[in-house]
Amino acid sequence: MKFKIENIIKGALASFIGASMAFTANIAFADYPDKDITFIVPYSPGGGSDQMARRLQPGLEKALGVNVKIVYKTGGGGAVGFSELHRSKPDGYTISNVVVPNVIITSKGDGIGYKPKDFSYIGMTEAAVGALMVPNDSPYQTLDQFVAAAKEKPGMLTVAGVGSTGANRWGGLAEILGIETTYVPVSGGVGKMMPMLAGSHVDGGMTASNHATKHKAIVKALVVAGNNEVATLPGVPTEPAWTYVTTWGIMAPPGTPADIVAKLNSALREAATDASVRDALVKGGYNPIIQTVDEVNAFMDAQIAIYE
Amino acid sequence: MIDAFFLAISPSYLMFMTIGVLLGLVVGTLPGLTATMGTALLVPFTFALPTGEGIAMLGGLYVCAMFSDAIPACLVNTPGTPAAMATGFDGHPMVQQGRGQEAIVAACFSSALGTMFGAACYLLLAWPMISIALQFGPPEFFWLGIFALTIIGSLAGDSILKGLAGGAIGLLISCVGISHAAELNRFTLNIPELRGGVSLVAALIGVFAVPQVLSMILGLRKQEYVAEYKSEKGVVLKTIVKVLSRPIHFLRSASIGSFIGILPGAGSPIAAIVSYNEAVRWSKKKEEFGKGNIHGVTASEIANNSAAPAAMIPLVTLGVPGSSPAAVIAGALMLRGLNPGPELFATDGTLVYSFGWSLFIAGIVVFFIGMLATPILVRIIKIPLRLLAPLIMFLAIIGAYAIRNNIFDVYLMLTIGIFVFLVRRIGFHPGPIGLGFILGPIIEPSLVQALYISDALGVGKIFFSGTINITLISLSVISVSAVAISRIRARKLPKVKD
Repeated sequence: MKFKIENIIKGALASFIGASMAFTANIAFADYPDKDITFIVPYSPGGGSDQMARRLQPGLEKALGVNVKIVYKTGGGGAVGFSELHRSKPDGYTISNVVVPNVIITSKGDGIGYKPKDFSYIGMTEAAVGALMVPNDSPYQTLDQFVAAAKEKPGMLTVAGVGSTGANRWGGLAEILGIETTYVPVSGGVGKMMPMLAGSHVDGGMTASNHATKHKAIVKALVVAGNNEVATLPGVPTEPAWTYVTTWGIMAPPGTPADIVAKLNSALREAATDASVRDALVKGGYNPIIQTVDEVNAFMDAQIAIYE
Repeated sequence: MIDAFFLAISPSYLMFMTIGVLLGLVVGTLPGLTATMGTALLVPFTFALPTGEGIAMLGGLYVCAMFSDAIPACLVNTPGTPAAMATGFDGHPMVQQGRGQEAIVAACFSSALGTMFGAACYLLLAWPMISIALQFGPPEFFWLGIFALTIIGSLAGDSILKGLAGGAIGLLISCVGISHAAELNRFTLNIPELRGGVSLVAALIGVFAVPQVLSMILGLRKQEYVAEYKSEKGVVLKTIVKVLSRPIHFLRSASIGSFIGILPGAGSPIAAIVSYNEAVRWSKKKEEFGKGNIHGVTASEIANNSAAPAAMIPLVTLGVPGSSPAAVIAGALMLRGLNPGPELFATDGTLVYSFGWSLFIAGIVVFFIGMLATPILVRIIKIPLRLLAPLIMFLAIIGAYAIRNNIFDVYLMLTIGIFVFLVRRIGFHPGPIGLGFILGPIIEPSLVQALYISDALGVGKIFFSGTINITLISLSVISVSAVAISRIRARKLPKVKD
């Protein structure tokens, strides 16, 4: 896992630099933080973003020395929470989850009021590549069988994904595989997709691979995106030409002062390096990430360039 | 399973579950604080406890909220959570007739029985039930939603046309926001907050609470209290006997509740609506419903409570929660490194079963706590209207704000409330409008998905084949024609009154 090792080394180096930066920030903003921090979760309680926030909450509280309150501002595929953060005061007392590419794709709507470039990014904490999965008792137990069936009856196989992000990403894989299928959009997240797969109401489902790890009892992954095998899905073939990665992290309102961003970043890195957090991520089939402020900004620029 | 039972009756399990039940009483009673919100707020506190006690506490809150949401539904015609909408149809008329205590006792006792039935399904029938539930795909959900809509026939009051129009208004408002398939902006008027759609809870508060408050204010000179309150001796026992004297009604409501509770995404509100509809269909005194029939209250409460433990069945068998509070409990388990699903059943069966037993016992605890609280809660209607009206308004505003921490939802709630107040004066019933809100998010996505799938496999095969589809279609047709026939007959009969 290239992602991981690189980032651990970078993280170790960066945390040293970050710590010294935080020290200077401490002098400049000696009083930050001196009150509770509000953490906006733009997706429903119990979902992936909520769990991420709850996983990091104790570590962030310890590192910052104040309480972190979680509030839910849900709706519009995350747009409601993202735009709420966009309107919030950039004083470091309001932060939120960020999910890439969701924040980029939702920003394209009319009158949405935020652009992904606006936000002050604190850092990404985990990522998962895309996967195509089928019900465990599917007649197609390998990618070859699935592709052969799709070629035999073009447009007759159905594949579910989450909303337009899913349509876009699945279109990419279908093109690489040279097949034609019928896409079935699921709204409200992967939780709604799993029963459809369990009851074989669709032939396949496409989403981030961590869900294939979590729902091993229901689904079998046929292929994952990228060059590297996913550790929790051994033996599942990879598709290097398919570049679908979902990344989760934390961001602050536009124009948050650099020293506050640095302080939040070092707190986030401290929380994310905690052994229990890392264990949960690795076990869940995620790639843990630790980033400096420069790294997350470079990452976001690259991601925005891909989707614009 | 026996070990799990002894674990569930151990003092610490009982204590934390009871604390959960007490919190649930508060959460359900306040409109705007839903069971989802309550469990999510409680999760961080459960981390201090061992896993078993932690989820028992969350489960206790969930099932008690499914009872206590009936209290505001009956007393002030404002459901505490969406699941209690159908409870208010008969519960509030009962209160107005001075039968407040009877209504609350009936709701409490039937909630307790419903919870125990649902928990028994969880403990004994999880696997067979989930295999039937998995047969429900997009077309089946679509027909289930259509079937639930046929309740409009028994709600509409004087005019079936106004009932249908009300349902359509509700469904249309539920379309506001980003669409389910192509993520198009619909009816958002370039207001960013509307992209997320109209919040169901805020909308329901608007539909029920605001018109209620406005009517109270208008009627101030004529009426000083919501209704008369007289404490009657022996009413508790009499009510319990009334509920127990209808075993078939109980079994029907509880089975409908548990089965719909299992279907991921349907949940307690739909369970209560379908159960109420069936209660009307099978009753010999159809005309009494909506006017204070105690079995309208029990049908809704038995079903929405048995749906709560049943919503945990897909969680432990598939790893997919059957309702939003179940999703929060799933999240709480995952944060402890446990993966809810068949794996957990195999590796930590005691935990899975002790949770079921805790839910079962929670049913009993709900009954006793409900009985202790009823005499106090019923006195709410002794508050004079000039104090009660502002109090309800205050709670309505807090509730609409709390659900998403968004002041916009408060404006929306007030707008919808004034709109419903006005249309109510020209003969619309708020029920169908609320029904549209609840059913829209089930009907629309399933219709869209089924249409996409039918692109590949053909409309006939997807929509009009399969036992479940045919059954639901036939039931809907029977419902509609029964209403039509009874209306035609009523028209032919000479008018008795005046």
